[in-house]
Amino acid sequence: MSTFQLPTRFGRFGGCYAPETLMANLVELEAAFVHAGQDESYAAEFARLLGEFAGRPTPLFEARRLSEHLGVEVWLKREDLLHTGAHKLNNAIGQALLARRMGKTRILAETGAGQHGVATATVCALLGLECVVYMGALDVERQRPNVERMRLLGARVVAVQSGQRTLKDAVNEAMRAWVGDPEAHYLLGSALGPHPFPTVVGSCHEVIGAEARAQWRARVGGSPDAVVACVGGGSNAIGLFRKFIPDAEVELVGVEAGGLGDGPGQHAARWVGGREGILHGCRTLVLADSDGQVEGTHSISAGLDYPAVGPEHAHLADTGRARYERASDDEALEGFRLLARLEGILPALESSHALGWVVRERECLAGQRVLIGLSGRGDKDLASVLPRLAAEEESA
Amino acid sequence: MSQRLQASIRAGQRHAPSGQLLPALAPYVTAGDGGLDRTLAVLHALESAGAACVELGLPFSDPIADGPHLQAAAERALEAGTTPAGVLELVRRFRSAGGALPILLFSYTNPLFVGLGGFSAAAAALAAAGGDGFIVPDLPPEEAGELRDACAEHGLGTVFFATPTSSDARIRAAAEASTGFLYAIGRVGITGARTTFDPEVLTWLDRVRDLAGETPLAVGFGVADGAAVAALGGHCDLAISGTALVRALHDAGGTPEDAARVATAFTTALGAGAP
Ligand SMILES: Cc1ncc(COP(=O)(O)O)c(C=O)c1O
Repeated sequence: MSTFQLPTRFGRFGGCYAPETLMANLVELEAAFVHAGQDESYAAEFARLLGEFAGRPTPLFEARRLSEHLGVEVWLKREDLLHTGAHKLNNAIGQALLARRMGKTRILAETGAGQHGVATATVCALLGLECVVYMGALDVERQRPNVERMRLLGARVVAVQSGQRTLKDAVNEAMRAWVGDPEAHYLLGSALGPHPFPTVVGSCHEVIGAEARAQWRARVGGSPDAVVACVGGGSNAIGLFRKFIPDAEVELVGVEAGGLGDGPGQHAARWVGGREGILHGCRTLVLADSDGQVEGTHSISAGLDYPAVGPEHAHLADTGRARYERASDDEALEGFRLLARLEGILPALESSHALGWVVRERECLAGQRVLIGLSGRGDKDLASVLPRLAAEEESA
Repeated sequence: MSQRLQASIRAGQRHAPSGQLLPALAPYVTAGDGGLDRTLAVLHALESAGAACVELGLPFSDPIADGPHLQAAAERALEAGTTPAGVLELVRRFRSAGGALPILLFSYTNPLFVGLGGFSAAAAALAAAGGDGFIVPDLPPEEAGELRDACAEHGLGTVFFATPTSSDARIRAAAEASTGFLYAIGRVGITGARTTFDPEVLTWLDRVRDLAGETPLAVGFGVADGAAVAALGGHCDLAISGTALVRALHDAGGTPEDAARVATAFTTALGAGAP
């Protein structure tokens, strides 16, 4: 059956394990995506909004004091400076324009840290679309400011009470809502889910790596030795990585949430405790027990607190093109603290995992030129960070 | 194809006093909700009460096509320690106790893919335990090649879905891929919400039936009582009822015998037509 026009898999990962009710929507989305790709007016409108509205291109910033401190030459791709404070807006704009092409007037979205929810609510306000955001009740508590922002932007926020009440459960509930409301568009926020989402979301974020690679050539020269990004579902990382994949001399490193330790339920590190499975529509690495039941996860950052990973990352790891490491809650906090004190930037706790890994590995990376994807800013995380850092300072 | 299943669906259709041919009955139960002994008693009761087959739900942590009641049932079953292997063992126990009711294992992909070692291994294991087929809500025909081959090899039935959003071509292909029956979802949405089968739905079902050709047609989602079954008379071969039974079993609580009584009463009422 040739239902789709594009490849649905990355190696053996990906695919389209979706309920029948959603198949027509997925086919429609793929068709709109293919068609938009051939339509200059879509590209022009996407580019216009990324520029005038979102503030692209984002800078490539040489973190000189941090570099000196670590003995590693660190450059930051500043997605934290994008409107709404994270890379998520690239995808929200791209998909909302597709939704508009498909004649949809209502958008459903899930959110973990709230950044994707805010980005989606923002674009819906901009384009005059109705917006409903599903968010785990636990995340509603730990990301309060973003909940308020979504409401101010006119979105309805639904607190999801099922399961662990975090990102996974928000995705479950958003998918259920879409099954019941196929007239809406589900604006999935990371490079995961059934085909064509991993392809569509990755392509909306490719601009990150395209800019960074050109900026690096112009500003620094040559290629970075390593490109490092945090990996929740994997959207900022795939956006940064894709254009560097052909540059064989560039090492690609994804950093996932090591949480509190390696025990089940203590982390969200799919390459530590995960196995090949199928979750939320795609075949990928999943934190599940031997019965296939999905396990609980923990991360200090709501945006990395998810038990599966985008299928393209599973494939990049499988082929050896990228490697995936982890940073613990404490290491992420250390990355946060250093960037704040040395560079005057409060990074998102998600992005702090990429920083924290570089900080930990500074001896192995000594003298190298490292590009870090700074996927978002940390204002939303103050409620989680302040008590932890205050406690540390007291005990120090 | 599962011969026993096909025969049972044919034999289970009854004429109402009005002369209308009512669909055969396929109750759904979540395996292990209240413990596997209770589920075993329920299976026997469903058979005695005249069900044509049972949809035996293998509990999963992330059931994206299920409403709150079936989600809660799966959570309870998992808390009670229900595993994929345990559910197959339940099927084996039912067969060795003489149970002849055809059993379709309703499972999301991951418990099959991970828990039972992949689609081929899962089919071999279900056949060995005495099951009759699979219903996998997140496995569209596009991804089902391996499961279909394995089911054909082991004489198990496959079930694919038709929904109001499916094109005619998809419905035809789904029917062709279904060696058990074609599962029509009479309205858009997840399990559990109630519906009345309005004329529009019945017209749609008649079209699906034409597209399905020889493949038996089942209707599920929202079939809660005898009135709903009666309304489907003449429009399909099999009526699937899940949420209402799962709720009734849970609300009643009690021993396996109590559960069996609830299942019997429920199935009898379903089959009795409009009250
Ligand atoms: C700032 C930021 N970075 C990273 C992520 C993780 O998502 P992804 O792996 O899709 O980039 C999130 C998710 O909420 C986020 O808000």
